[in-house]
Amino acid sequence: MKKTKLRLGIDVGGTNTDGVLMSGSEVLGAHKSFTTDDISGGLIRTVSELLQGSGVPAGSIGSVMIGTTQFVNAFLQRRHLSEVAVVRICLPKADGVPPMVAWPDDLRAIIGSHIYLVGGGSFYTGLEYAPLDEVELDKVGRDIAKKGLNAIVITANFAPVRPDIEERAASILRRHLPNADITLSAQVGGVGLIDRENAAIINAALSQLSRKVVTSLVSAFQSVGINAPIYISQNDGTLISTGYAQRFPIFTCSAGPTNSIRGAAFLTGLQEAVVVDVGGTTTDVGFLLRGFPRETATANTIGGVRTNFRMPDVLSIALGGGTVVRQSATGVTLGPDSVGYQLKDKGMIFGGDTLTTTDIAVRAGQFSLGDRSKVAGLPDALVSSVLDLIHARIEVAIDQMKTNSRPVPVVLVGGGAILVSRPLKGASQVYQPEYAEVANAIGAAIALVSGRVDRLFDVGALGREGALAQAKGEAIAAAVAAGADPDSVQIVDVVELPMTHMKSGSVQIKVRAVGELADE
Amino acid sequence: MRMIETVQEIQDMARGAVFLGSGGGGDPYVGELFLRQQLNLGRHAKIVDASELADDAFVICIAGVGAPTVLVEHLVSAKTLLRVLEHAEKFYGRKVDALISAEIGGANSMFPVALGAQTGLPVVDGDGMGRAFPHLEMTTFSVYGIKTSPGFVMDDSGNVVSFETSTDRLAEEVVRGVATALGAMVYGCFYPMSGAQLKATAVLGTISQTIEIGRHIREARDHCEDPFTGLMAYLNDPAKERHARILFDGKIVDVTHETRDGWHWGRVVIGNTTDESDQLTVDIQNEFLIAKRNGRTVTVVPDLISVLDTETAEPLTAEMLAYGQRVRVIGYSAAPVMRRPECLKVFGPRMFGLDEDFVPVEELTG
Repeated sequence: MKKTKLRLGIDVGGTNTDGVLMSGSEVLGAHKSFTTDDISGGLIRTVSELLQGSGVPAGSIGSVMIGTTQFVNAFLQRRHLSEVAVVRICLPKADGVPPMVAWPDDLRAIIGSHIYLVGGGSFYTGLEYAPLDEVELDKVGRDIAKKGLNAIVITANFAPVRPDIEERAASILRRHLPNADITLSAQVGGVGLIDRENAAIINAALSQLSRKVVTSLVSAFQSVGINAPIYISQNDGTLISTGYAQRFPIFTCSAGPTNSIRGAAFLTGLQEAVVVDVGGTTTDVGFLLRGFPRETATANTIGGVRTNFRMPDVLSIALGGGTVVRQSATGVTLGPDSVGYQLKDKGMIFGGDTLTTTDIAVRAGQFSLGDRSKVAGLPDALVSSVLDLIHARIEVAIDQMKTNSRPVPVVLVGGGAILVSRPLKGASQVYQPEYAEVANAIGAAIALVSGRVDRLFDVGALGREGALAQAKGEAIAAAVAAGADPDSVQIVDVVELPMTHMKSGSVQIKVRAVGELADE
Repeated sequence: MRMIETVQEIQDMARGAVFLGSGGGGDPYVGELFLRQQLNLGRHAKIVDASELADDAFVICIAGVGAPTVLVEHLVSAKTLLRVLEHAEKFYGRKVDALISAEIGGANSMFPVALGAQTGLPVVDGDGMGRAFPHLEMTTFSVYGIKTSPGFVMDDSGNVVSFETSTDRLAEEVVRGVATALGAMVYGCFYPMSGAQLKATAVLGTISQTIEIGRHIREARDHCEDPFTGLMAYLNDPAKERHARILFDGKIVDVTHETRDGWHWGRVVIGNTTDESDQLTVDIQNEFLIAKRNGRTVTVVPDLISVLDTETAEPLTAEMLAYGQRVRVIGYSAAPVMRRPECLKVFGPRMFGLDEDFVPVEELTG
């Protein structure tokens, strides 16, 4: 019998670094520490405590899975970003809307205005409307090299249909820029040039930081004696190698909520449910569909920039364990502000003077924390009206995330889940499993590997079945290339979007395939 | 006369254009970005009242024809728009004095303004629909005898196809066929007319309306006020022959979409959150065509139906609707000219296969 390898799941959040140790589907141990500025400090502490607590030697860890918000936070806070050269292959089209037109000024100032429009590109049919202007590209490569830029984006019209045009352009630029980090738009997004280009530019801007972070993660594990392969969680809850994450940090930007939804699925065994992750400041409500988070259909904005890359459809409401409770003549209000990590100083049960939702929950006897006598004097009417508000807000959010009016199972996870004590309207059953407070680290530990396709197919020529079969085949191949065990790969999502306003046979098909990580 | 000089005005206009699109017309996002780039270059569009035009001024409609999916990939070429104007002056043998939009709802609100910003040519505050419609001939211009022919379309590679058809309906067929052959996105010149003809036929003041609608929504949000209060006060102004009603407030309980012959068909059902038996259905044929509350018609084409997010009052296109969204539906009167019998023969309910006559929203809702 094959010996089951241990998996170490880590979630590096803004406040906490959580870790879980798993053997197959069994949780051997869990630990939470504060995140440190250098990441590795908090990481090393969590991992060391976890190994010690479970009595497991570092050498028996078979693989490490990490979810992190480091990259998205860097972009939001405009820290550690690189200057980027943007090469768009589009002329004679698209010159009226150059790259980064609608970007916030502060970001444009950091990323620079190194923009090059070059001849070439494709119709939706895949035919080229103009040949790639190789002579001009050669000049562009020389100019970028002269400026000393190392982060480069190449975009082309209908690149999801003709990715080879961007690839050819990259090989020409490489002559002058052998060591640059080049992001191709077709690698990071589907149809919709501006949103795909924006995602590619964000990715390139993070490329230097991602080298540094990934290197420091790897060395932190080595320092505690773990030499197992390390994987990073991406937005859809599946894993990528550290090498891939280093090249595509954009794919890790919303792994946090995804991992908590996937962790909730694992802890309850549910395939379809609403997952309510109650933190200190916000509650994130997501929808678990066939074991994965449902994703948004419309454009998403990161740090003021619109992108079309995949993100879980999560509704965030300003409600958490640190949310401030206020009383006035007209009634009781919740937040939207929270004392956040200062709950330990400001909350009444800890001797502070700010009334929070946690104080109310303790007064109501939902759990014990701090000094309950400090809140004993709160009137019953206040307590019950605050609890009414908390439950009503969560119920409205749950209803908004449902796809139909039938009651669905609801899973409560996160440190603030203790605020909820009553049955929830719209829920067929409410689950609050063991280890719910580290659901995100569990989500990282159990992650699978995926492959995707999002491009136009010629249904006129291929037939609908033929086009779908081709799209599925490409998605499966992408999953296997990303490290999936070919025998375990399944298609989990198929979306067809016919092109409207024209009698054409082109259909945009999006397919996602996932599988288990192949053993080394 | 007014100049469009700020990002806010451009965004207000785009948001208002989605509202007047009545669910259709395509997302004006690409046009918004084009105008922002012109603004970055220090160029501003000049919007003029029809009354400022000389009767013998020469005016043309500038429009994009094609698939929204292609527009979001190929974007818009500033050079192409300039060439459209250059070719128009050669083609018609005279200088163009002003531009006008054929369709204020959705993406086509933007192209004349974009070309106006580039060239300094004035753009007339008005259009031929006051909303969005799927066909080129569904304009007040056409109803009142202005021909879309002779006209032409052009692609970004400089291919030009001119047309002269016996009817405007045929021009629609020809132009769409040409657009397909040229990659599903072309820019064209339609409805050449004089200043006097424009004043007699256009739906006036619609660019100002887009900006005002967007401004009311934005300012209410900025001041944390209910965004519907100011918007409804603006839209419902009987002294200006404007009537608006909040038709329904609820949650989307069902949406169906399908593509038939290249067009978007569908239905959305919105449920009252406190009374399950109370529902509003809205039928979609590219645009929202008819809204019925519990089986009784409350707004029908050419009056406008707009679906907005309950919290933010963001107007939503038909493609954006999904189960669970909290929405408020507004019925809004079409311009008085659009409700005349001769107009209803071209874009009244029966032209969309609906078996009922047009009744104004203010009568349907009492």
